[in-house]
Amino acid sequence: MGQTERDAFIIGSDELILVTGASGFIGSRLVSCLLNLGFLNLRCFVRPSSEVTRVEVLTGCRRDGARVELVEGNLLSREDCNAATKDVAIIYHLAAGRGEKSYPDAFLNSVVTTRNLLEASIRDQCLRQFVNVSSFAVYTNTKKPRWRVLDESCPVEKHPELRGDAYSFAKVKQDEIVAEYARKFGIPCVTVRPGHVYGPGNEPITGRVGIGTFGVFLHLAGSNAIPFTYVDNCAEAIALVGLTKGTDGEVFNVVDDDLPSSRNFLRLYKQQVRRFRSIYVPHSLSYVLCYLWEQYAKWSKGQLPPTFNRLRWHANWRKTRYSNEKLKMRVGWKPKVPMAEGFKRYFEACRNGVRDA
Amino acid sequence: MLKVAIVGCGKIADDHAAQIQRIEGCEIVGVCDREPLMARQLYERFPVKQHFSDLRELLCDAKPDVVHITTPPESHSDIARLCLDWGSHVYVEKPFTLCEDDARTLIALATEKGLKITAGHDDQFRHAARRMRALVQSGFLGSGPVHMESYYCYELGQTAYARAILADREHWVWRLPGKLLQNIISHGIARIAEFLSGDSLEVVAYGFTSPALKRMGGSEIIDELRVIICEQERTTAYFTFSSQMRPALHQFRIYGDRNGLILDQDQETLIKLRGKRYVSYAEKFIPPVSFARQYLGNLATNARSFLARDFHMKSGMKYLIESFYRSILEGAPDPIPHSQILLTTRIMDAIFAQLDAQQQSVESRVQASVY
Ligand SMILES: NC(=O)c1ccc[n+]([C@@H]2O[C@H](COP(=O)([O-])OP(=O)(O)OC[C@H]3O[C@@H](n4cnc5c(N)ncnc54)[C@H](OP(=O)(O)O)[C@@H]3O)[C@@H](O)[C@H]2O)c1
Repeated sequence: MGQTERDAFIIGSDELILVTGASGFIGSRLVSCLLNLGFLNLRCFVRPSSEVTRVEVLTGCRRDGARVELVEGNLLSREDCNAATKDVAIIYHLAAGRGEKSYPDAFLNSVVTTRNLLEASIRDQCLRQFVNVSSFAVYTNTKKPRWRVLDESCPVEKHPELRGDAYSFAKVKQDEIVAEYARKFGIPCVTVRPGHVYGPGNEPITGRVGIGTFGVFLHLAGSNAIPFTYVDNCAEAIALVGLTKGTDGEVFNVVDDDLPSSRNFLRLYKQQVRRFRSIYVPHSLSYVLCYLWEQYAKWSKGQLPPTFNRLRWHANWRKTRYSNEKLKMRVGWKPKVPMAEGFKRYFEACRNGVRDA
Repeated sequence: MLKVAIVGCGKIADDHAAQIQRIEGCEIVGVCDREPLMARQLYERFPVKQHFSDLRELLCDAKPDVVHITTPPESHSDIARLCLDWGSHVYVEKPFTLCEDDARTLIALATEKGLKITAGHDDQFRHAARRMRALVQSGFLGSGPVHMESYYCYELGQTAYARAILADREHWVWRLPGKLLQNIISHGIARIAEFLSGDSLEVVAYGFTSPALKRMGGSEIIDELRVIICEQERTTAYFTFSSQMRPALHQFRIYGDRNGLILDQDQETLIKLRGKRYVSYAEKFIPPVSFARQYLGNLATNARSFLARDFHMKSGMKYLIESFYRSILEGAPDPIPHSQILLTTRIMDAIFAQLDAQQQSVESRVQASVY
């Protein structure tokens, strides 16, 4: 890290940084990115139940002169939050109930945890930035012209409870609580919203491409661009947003350059990882199917869960373009790992996963 | 309009809210959780009038006729007592209480106050389970059950649930006398209790930790349980809980002195077993045809229920709640007799006492070999 970059950062390299969800897919990359940027004092919050191999990655990150402290706990415990936030200058909050299917579980691990962390950070007055890691899952994409650009100015889902997706409901509520605490208590906050983060460690094909729920893979996105960001690129974007001066109160979307179309991605995946049968469902048909599913779920009072509906269709499968202009302009980020290289690493991890299965 | 409240806004509360919504003549007047955010999220997703973080406030302000208790099991007793004292009927999720004494106290209190109380043994009210009950009551088995087999399995090994419990010693599961088992087996035990009277009952339990769970570091948790139950040397039952056997069955088999029945909860099928044999080779050919016909019949019944919008995953819960509300409003009989709730807790107490004794004897043997 050069002197000019350092000057643009809000903290010095010795100041303490907390990373929650540090043993997670993105969290572990963020820790190593912060060390690469020259920060020497990191506190990694992990649950005792976190996968040992992932925690070992963190301990393996240690560099000369750097302190990587592992703090075990659960963000559902206020005491654990108090201990974690003590003397911290920046909090990178990545912990979330990402794989949870039930609303209460997703909510508990994304919203209650965030509230506990925010409250703990008020007690300790030294916080300079709370980096809230949100997601594209919070955006609504309705009432927009086709192919319009999805950027930071896009509205957030007003009725996330109708999306049939526990994760997006929880992430919308997480953003709301962060905004509420920032307003009420003057906590300096910035929000980062990554698109689909891919790379070794997150192998499944994103639902934005299609779904395999019904035994055969239904390809729903066709020629849509998929908002991919390679995990190392995303981690760097998160790191820079938290460190850069003048980002307080802002939102930054993260997607890489040269986004592939869903069709191209699927073709490459089949070539490089494994062959499987997929059926392309044109947009108008997938919309009608989502509409019918939504109506049936309503009419049958939940005999089928409202998993597919128009809100979800708009958010995931509607033709949309994406922008990373703000991130590039304001924090000077650019994706270091090009899409082709990212895919190479990702496909290799997928192949290994298929072999191990 | 029956005024309903839900206390405890975790995962199972979602099912309650969804099923209550489907019942006419009732409304959810309040939801409550010690964690205000959890109460609010349930309130935001369902048609609920108010949300609370204090039970007394809920009872005072929303004045519910019925309270559904969906909190962790260790709090069931205290919350139910408070609601009964306040004059509300209570529906307590399974496991009803932590021991038979608590269950007895609650039921006595409800009876004294002229209030209704039931346990969330909703699996017994799913479509096939109801068909089974009707057949048993019609005398299909003969003079009564001779033997039962209840399988209640849970695929523990692959779940994040196991990892989360193992790592979090503060998790409420650790504070239950029967730990993990207490939270899971009551459905399977209640099925057996339904067909026992409870007189001179003998229970023999054997439990151990599966090698898979041991590898995950969970040697203190018993996840393989086999139980023999014997009533007056007349009716017997086997209960199996396993986290490892595949398929992870949820099955109930009941045999009388004339015929038998097999209920499969996952497939929602009920199969009749004919007691009499066919002559000679006919026994090899006719029963398979009869089974095929029965499975097709089950398929048709399930399809009909689905088309009639009455095949929800939690159909048993809706039926039980509706029956419970009818018992309140119209004085209909309790959907689950109190004696059955007590018997279920008594059998569970006996199982856990034996598992405890087993564990202690293992520990003392280990200590003896150390000294
Ligand atoms: N992956 C994506 O495509 C993507 C896209 C957009 C946004 N995001 C956001 O990025 C963040 C990180 O995502 P990820 O992909 O790295 O997910 P991940 O691998 O599932 O990591 C989430 C981490 O949160 C931890 N956690 C969950 N509940 C917790 C609690 N109660 N207390 C403490 N820690 C808890 C988990 O701990 P355990 O290891 O113990 O389970 C895990 O390490 C999340 O906020 C997610 O919403 C991800």
